[in-house]
Amino acid sequence: MLESIISPILRITPDQISDELSMKDIESWDSLTHMDLIAELESHFTIELTMDEITEMVSVKAIRKILAAKGVQLG
Amino acid sequence: MQNSQIKHAIVTGGAKGLGLEIATSLVDSGFRVAIIDIDDEALHAAKHQHPDLETFKADLTCEQQVAKTIQQIISRFGNIHILVNNAGLIHSEPLINVLNPTQRRHSLTHWTKVISTNLDSTFITTAHVAEHMAIKRIKGVIVNISSVCAAGNAGQSAYSAAKAGINALTTAWAKELGPLGIRCAAIAPGFFETSATHSALTPTMLDYWKKQTALKKLGAPEQIADTVKFIIANEYISGKVFEIDGGLTL
Repeated sequence: MLESIISPILRITPDQISDELSMKDIESWDSLTHMDLIAELESHFTIELTMDEITEMVSVKAIRKILAAKGVQLG
Repeated sequence: MQNSQIKHAIVTGGAKGLGLEIATSLVDSGFRVAIIDIDDEALHAAKHQHPDLETFKADLTCEQQVAKTIQQIISRFGNIHILVNNAGLIHSEPLINVLNPTQRRHSLTHWTKVISTNLDSTFITTAHVAEHMAIKRIKGVIVNISSVCAAGNAGQSAYSAAKAGINALTTAWAKELGPLGIRCAAIAPGFFETSATHSALTPTMLDYWKKQTALKKLGAPEQIADTVKFIIANEYISGKVFEIDGGLTL
């Protein structure tokens, strides 16, 4: 489920997405794209992220961890 | 508004004219308002006439002063929900003045001052306030006061360029801050009944512009204040420049 949210925003295919993927690995994941990703995650899961959480979400692993901590079940 | 729902606003250049009109109108609508202005005397007069206003003196082209002032306002208010970037300077000067052989070209000093007062101040203040809104996840509103002269007025190179810059910033910030829920819009007034208008234009020029306006009259400052409140209230407005000009630009 997370892959289908992330891939169109970062303009990569779902199979390119792994937990190890981080901002430094792909050029398209810059600070502006990051805000689009945050807005989509907040809208999709009906959550609100703090600025600290937004700042920490720089890898797929970190995104999963923070979403889980907010009670989001990714299946 | 209930106490828990009171919104906090900053109006720059709020000690007189259009800025004071916007500030007092927001107070009347239940907002707690801080005004920032460089004019000490005008700040004292504004506070005397409107004790509900919180007044702060700062040169908004100086980032250190802006940073300090915004921190003081955050300390006093807790949160900032609304920023109205109104501070500015109207300046008329031809690019080439054929009647003045000793100073034929537009003064670079004047150009720099007008760009700085209108554009730098907006950029610096918004950067600091938007940072606060982003960190606190406040879905705030930024209202920039532009001008119809952003389209380019003969004899107002610097002012026109500055206001065109304001329009561009409005669009850029709406796109950039939108994902955080922060909205940004602008108001481009035509000619209004303010002291700044009367200082910047001769009676002959004002009369000319009145005739160019479909409604054949100057606007009233409260009409701009009403538009500020309209932008704040409508949560689906962002990125737009509202021309409030009595039909001048038709």
